[in-house]
Amino acid sequence: MEKLKKLANTKYFMTIMWILILVALWEVFAIIVSHTKRTPENILPHLSGIIESVFSRRTVNGDQTAVKMVMVNAAATLSRAGIGYVVGIVSGFALALLMSLWKPIEKIAFPYLMLIQMIPILGMAPIINALTGDINKSRIVIAAILTFYPVATNTLAGFKSVQKEKHELMYSYAAGKIRIYTKMMIPSCIPYFFTGLKISAPMAITASILVDTLQGGIGLGCLLSQALKGAMTRYVFWQIVFFSAIIGILSFSIMGLLEYIICPYKRTQKN
Amino acid sequence: MIKKRISVDSATSVVYPLAFGIIIVLMWQSGMLHKILKTDEYILPYPTRIFQIISENSDKISQNAASSVFVTVTGLVLGSILGYLAAIGATVSPRFGKGGLTVISAFNAIPIVAMAPVIMNWTKDISSKAEIRSTVAKIIVVTLMCMASMSINAHRGLNELKPFSLDLMKSYAADKKTVFLKLRLPNSIPYVFTALKVSVPASVITALVSEYFAEYRAGVGRQIRENILIAQYATAWAYIAVACLIGIILFVLLLMAESIFLRKRRSH
Repeated sequence: MEKLKKLANTKYFMTIMWILILVALWEVFAIIVSHTKRTPENILPHLSGIIESVFSRRTVNGDQTAVKMVMVNAAATLSRAGIGYVVGIVSGFALALLMSLWKPIEKIAFPYLMLIQMIPILGMAPIINALTGDINKSRIVIAAILTFYPVATNTLAGFKSVQKEKHELMYSYAAGKIRIYTKMMIPSCIPYFFTGLKISAPMAITASILVDTLQGGIGLGCLLSQALKGAMTRYVFWQIVFFSAIIGILSFSIMGLLEYIICPYKRTQKN
Repeated sequence: MIKKRISVDSATSVVYPLAFGIIIVLMWQSGMLHKILKTDEYILPYPTRIFQIISENSDKISQNAASSVFVTVTGLVLGSILGYLAAIGATVSPRFGKGGLTVISAFNAIPIVAMAPVIMNWTKDISSKAEIRSTVAKIIVVTLMCMASMSINAHRGLNELKPFSLDLMKSYAADKKTVFLKLRLPNSIPYVFTALKVSVPASVITALVSEYFAEYRAGVGRQIRENILIAQYATAWAYIAVACLIGIILFVLLLMAESIFLRKRRSH
């Protein structure tokens, strides 16, 4: 009994409780919908139905089962999101480094970094598609832009957060620029850098899926709009919805885990 | 001497970016940008042409802009209020509430493209008019996206108090309501603005993207897409310019509100 009480006090238990509440709510509404609507699976299918469709062997399109089709398309979407993400990280970090090394660059780029945050880049996806002329390229470009500025601004904030005393200490050691950056500046900006990574990971995935919906071909977003139009069973649509939600959440927590591994000093701070 | 250096410093921080921007616009207008991006003036029209289109179609553009701004602002306000209430709930009963906050923050990671069609599906019965039910659906999507960042930041603002301030309140024998009104609420104001700085641009993006999936054709985001589908690139660029303008104006309004609210705080 004592143990059970302790278990009930943990944060994880409460999170699971909330998830169970949400599942229960979903099911209640699903039952209502299934009694009042002609095509309940279009509006709110039972969760069991979605899970069943994941494991069902019935072919949906050609010789592909629903889950295989989702996975094949997801691989295409995610790989391009991944390339864009990496390009965005590298260029974002490089710009932050340049900005901290050379003042005029910071002065030129900083207002534009602020400006780009206010501009709805995702709304510009169709025009970037037209500009690059190639859907694969535009997917990578948009994911890269969306990754680029959170990484750049957060890393720059990390460089600026180094205390004055540390700079003075390095100066008293007569440390060179390279030394200062490898020993002091870069290690201290890493937590900020990860904040940028965590913000932009779900964004890069969203961007990649959204670009898919603009044009035919292969990709999760493309499959999503086809399923919405009723080209195949509605469960494909629900699988995509849940899959992209899970991937979005996972991408965030994977970055958190990476930070946990790479920055051991942050672990002790929390406790 | 020092004064002079500061003024030179602040002058260059205006002149440098301005010069950069002017160079880009000149390159764009003179066609150099087209050569670099390997495109033509049909897909990337000159700035003068974009302005011409905006002034020619100002009626239709302002109508669509109004629709997008209405969805953005309504969703932003609703989402922020709900997020703040969730934060208060988590403060009042931390044991139950913190798990709830984790679940809400998970909403933030769900791609808009997955959420928007689902919400569109659910709101089909709200009204017989396509315009109304589409607007409601879009507002719900924006609300959900704004809720997460507000609830997490507000929760921090309500709980990360100055050391000993809670003890001081206790020594005054202040009841929970007084602690909330006099200590927690004012303490959370800067955190609220931190949340809004994230959710204002996010809500603009969410509004534009959810327009793609809406039944009723309205809004700046939808117009960008529709005009590209019929290869009216210049019109699409005009709507992009408007979308950027909406984002910038809302953010500047937020910064102004912040400076007014936090100035009072500094003088204390």
